[in-house]
Amino acid sequence: MDERPSVRLENTSFTYPGGKAGVFDIDLEIAPGELLVCIGPSGCGKTTLLKLIAGFLPCATGRVLLSGEDVTAVSVRDRQCGIVFQSYALFPHMRVWENVAYPLRVRGIELADRRRQAEAMLDMVGLSGYGERLPAALSGGQQQRVALARALVFKPRVLLLDEPLSALDAATRVSMRDEIRRIQKQQNIASLLITHDQDEALSLADRIAVLHDGRLIQVAAPRVLYDYPADAFVASFIGRANLITSTVVASDAVDTPIGRLVTPPHAYPVGTSVQLLVRPEKIEPAASLAGENNFPATIVHDRFFGASRELELAVGQGMLKIDTPSREDFAHIHVPRQAVQFLPTL
Amino acid sequence: MKVRWITVGYLVYLALPIALLFIGSFGDLWLNTLLPTGFTVKWYVEVAADPSFRRAFSTSLFVAVVTAIACVAIGLPLAYTVFRAQSQKIRALARILYQLPVALPPLVLAFGFILAFSSDALPWLGSVWLLIAGHIVLWMPYFLQTVVADMQRLGLRTLEEAAESLGSSSLQRFFHIVLPAIRHSILSGLIIVTALSIGEFQFSNLVSGFLNRTYPVVLLQAFYGATGFACAATVILLALALTASVTGAYAARGAARASTGKG
Repeated sequence: MDERPSVRLENTSFTYPGGKAGVFDIDLEIAPGELLVCIGPSGCGKTTLLKLIAGFLPCATGRVLLSGEDVTAVSVRDRQCGIVFQSYALFPHMRVWENVAYPLRVRGIELADRRRQAEAMLDMVGLSGYGERLPAALSGGQQQRVALARALVFKPRVLLLDEPLSALDAATRVSMRDEIRRIQKQQNIASLLITHDQDEALSLADRIAVLHDGRLIQVAAPRVLYDYPADAFVASFIGRANLITSTVVASDAVDTPIGRLVTPPHAYPVGTSVQLLVRPEKIEPAASLAGENNFPATIVHDRFFGASRELELAVGQGMLKIDTPSREDFAHIHVPRQAVQFLPTL
Repeated sequence: MKVRWITVGYLVYLALPIALLFIGSFGDLWLNTLLPTGFTVKWYVEVAADPSFRRAFSTSLFVAVVTAIACVAIGLPLAYTVFRAQSQKIRALARILYQLPVALPPLVLAFGFILAFSSDALPWLGSVWLLIAGHIVLWMPYFLQTVVADMQRLGLRTLEEAAESLGSSSLQRFFHIVLPAIRHSILSGLIIVTALSIGEFQFSNLVSGFLNRTYPVVLLQAFYGATGFACAATVILLALALTASVTGAYAARGAARASTGKG
């Protein structure tokens, strides 16, 4: 097995003409068989990143390596990246099997052979029997599968998926998400998936790369990213978050707008301004004020989601978001000491 | 209900003159009466036997066909270039430029041609090729518009990017993706160009030479003769134009079928 990373970006930058937009100093690796999800708000440079790897955009600085080979100066055509476009980009005048067989056709593979390979690929994505149809006769999810089959049939070095699920309706999206993961695992191909949907990122990824204003903020496994966000942006972008600005008053206590909080022991000097993260699901309703980190709370917003409720509470001078399965209303909350996290300061 | 009557009224308004032409072309005598009297096909026989009409008929067809071919040969690369232009400004400018002839009366173009090509340096006024050159300028915008709009609707750029990433060369992309994807709009663009070219009068009347007048130009002369003859000659022009439209409609239907598929 090849141990070199399938994709490696070294100090890669690209700036759009005249603008600040682009990506800057990107260092990133995708291991063989790994699914890396790149997430960020719109305009953060996710798609630019994909285009740099695919070769649609030239690097201003740095290099792009595919399986150890420097492809910075190699054309799109010769990079051998399988791309699934947001709009699928199926050729409307070709039948489904012809679409899938197209990469084989331009590689000069004989008709019978490429037809057989295309049918096998369609079978793999769960579309056997659909080969004779035209793309327009398929549903969104089915078109997505065809696009995947077409991007994989020529054994590319990497699979690049540009917001592949954003054009699908909610129900199809979740099942397609699992499908993509299954196919990616089965083909064992290094993949980069671009999305702005955090659920998609958390549930699909081996690792997540968070991009903000063209810069990589954090690259980590989903659980690490959620539990140990690198900064306030990551904390609030991945999952819901209470970000609390506070002042250190002791080695295990801080003053916050909601009141004085007891925290795990820390090394910040007294008087320092620090930013705290408390995940909403870690805050609990309480029966009374008796106990550590218990506060009186008033419910301001109440959204019921069946399995849980998302509440917004007025606590002291501040506001807290909490997620709770409790159906009863309450007048007090408890913030467990372990739930209080210090975010790294800049 | 009201909408239906408006539709019916408009259709009657549209069809009545054509119906009268049709009736008139088979009428033996038509003088100061609402409808002609007698039935005859002699007018059609006369038109068919008239050497200037025969000549004009073939000139018109020739001009239309050559114009259509030239529109594809010149218009296709042009449409592709405009569509692929990187800068939004260049695209907008190109659009305004190639749409300009639509806003220009053919009369203006004709005067320009007369000024430019009646000199000793460029003595081509009256040649059929000059006529064709004018028709190309007049009808190219309609062809370009149809094709560029289709390229945009299809998202041709992304299709090409996809093909490129799948390993196809620029030549392969053109013949495998671009041409087949827009073949229907090329066809309907051609139908429009042909129909417009066959019916054009203003420009052709001023620029065509005596020996290569187009059908509508000769038709005007017919109005000074017998009514039945004029009607028959007009119906023939109508049939010619109609053939072009019906062919167009079939092509469009075929296109719709092909793009929605069978399943």
